[in-house]
Amino acid sequence: MNTTAPAAALLPAIARGDVSAFEALYDRHSSTIYALLLRILANADDAQEVLQETFVKAWTSAKMFDAVRGSEVAWLISIARSRGIDRLRSRKIRYEREDEAGREISVRSAFVDHTTGADQAIQSQERTAVRGALSELPDPQRIALELAYFEGLSQSEIAEKLNEPLGTIKTRMQLGMKKLRDRLQAFH
Amino acid sequence: MGHEDFESIAALDAIGAATAGEASALRIHLSGCIPCRRARDEYADAALSIAMSLVPVHPPAWLRTRVIAAKEEAERRFNPWWLAVAATLFFALWGWREFGIRVAREHDASQRAEIERLREENGLLSQRTEKLSSEMAALSAHDTRTIALSGQEVAPAASARVFLEPNRRRAIVFFHALPANPNDKSYQLWIIRADQPKPVSAGVFDVTQTGDASIVVENLPVATEIKALAVTLEPKGGVDQPTNTTFYVAGNASM
Repeated sequence: MNTTAPAAALLPAIARGDVSAFEALYDRHSSTIYALLLRILANADDAQEVLQETFVKAWTSAKMFDAVRGSEVAWLISIARSRGIDRLRSRKIRYEREDEAGREISVRSAFVDHTTGADQAIQSQERTAVRGALSELPDPQRIALELAYFEGLSQSEIAEKLNEPLGTIKTRMQLGMKKLRDRLQAFH
Repeated sequence: MGHEDFESIAALDAIGAATAGEASALRIHLSGCIPCRRARDEYADAALSIAMSLVPVHPPAWLRTRVIAAKEEAERRFNPWWLAVAATLFFALWGWREFGIRVAREHDASQRAEIERLREENGLLSQRTEKLSSEMAALSAHDTRTIALSGQEVAPAASARVFLEPNRRRAIVFFHALPANPNDKSYQLWIIRADQPKPVSAGVFDVTQTGDASIVVENLPVATEIKALAVTLEPKGGVDQPTNTTFYVAGNASM
């Protein structure tokens, strides 16, 4: 299996039992998935376990992948995010996490701080554009999006956590997503 | 709700923040609205970009080996061949069980039918035993009289013997070597009484292939009133009075 094969070609090959395609999939996306799981779980051991679960799921369910419905990495991220949030809820890690102020600093760092060596190796114009769009969001909108996306909180849970009216939270998230979408469209 | 409302819900749904009701309404609306589907896809891309914007972090090198090993373990656990073998085994056992149940049911039905047949046969045998006991009692009674009926011109080889129990006013009659009666006719035994001008029917019977038959006659006239006995061939089921005078066997009951 050629590891430089087109992204969409890997999962069909994995569905046919191609082990080298599976290894290529891991090499191609494990750092993205691991970063997401670290962000969700804030715990390396948990992130590694869920990363393993995610790729095993990809191996056993590769035949379920439909390229028409999304990209390979989007499919993996969907699996990883869902399992990561499940793990977060089951272990109630959110109650053990750092306080809001400290967490916010780390979130901002994950979004905005793009000067690490690993990032430099993978950095793309699109990632830069997205990161720019996120960094331009007002903090209240960005925080509401983070709580929904990375912690799986509902609108009412976010409103309660931030001590804000439900309507306000909903509006913040909708505005934040709209700005993000417009910025991406402008980039494309 | 209008398209703008559904677009707003699509924005929330993309990050998993839509309520169950909103998500359900959105699914229904998207099935018939292309612009909103496009908006949904755009928001999905925006949500994906949140994850993609994170600084990639390489997992530990040893984790790659562990993931590959876990994949192989999962492969063993979820091997379609094992599933196929397990499924085949399951259906084979299930089929064998169903077959066994069907065979047992058929066997049970067969046994029930056999029991019913034996019960009917037992009933017939009981009746036959009762008849034989009755005949034996009649034959062995101390006052039993015997009347011999001899073959007539149409059946010279035929004969009959009447065992009469005067006290019980009952008789058992054995016929021998009568010609086979046609399907539409029966033999009929007549009693010619001394006190009545017309004969009285004493019974209707068919003979076996060897020409034999036996009948029990109940409520006989008193013995002294029986003058003679005779057998004619009559329409099937018998008649009130003889339709002919062609006797097959006949005899006087003289004391």
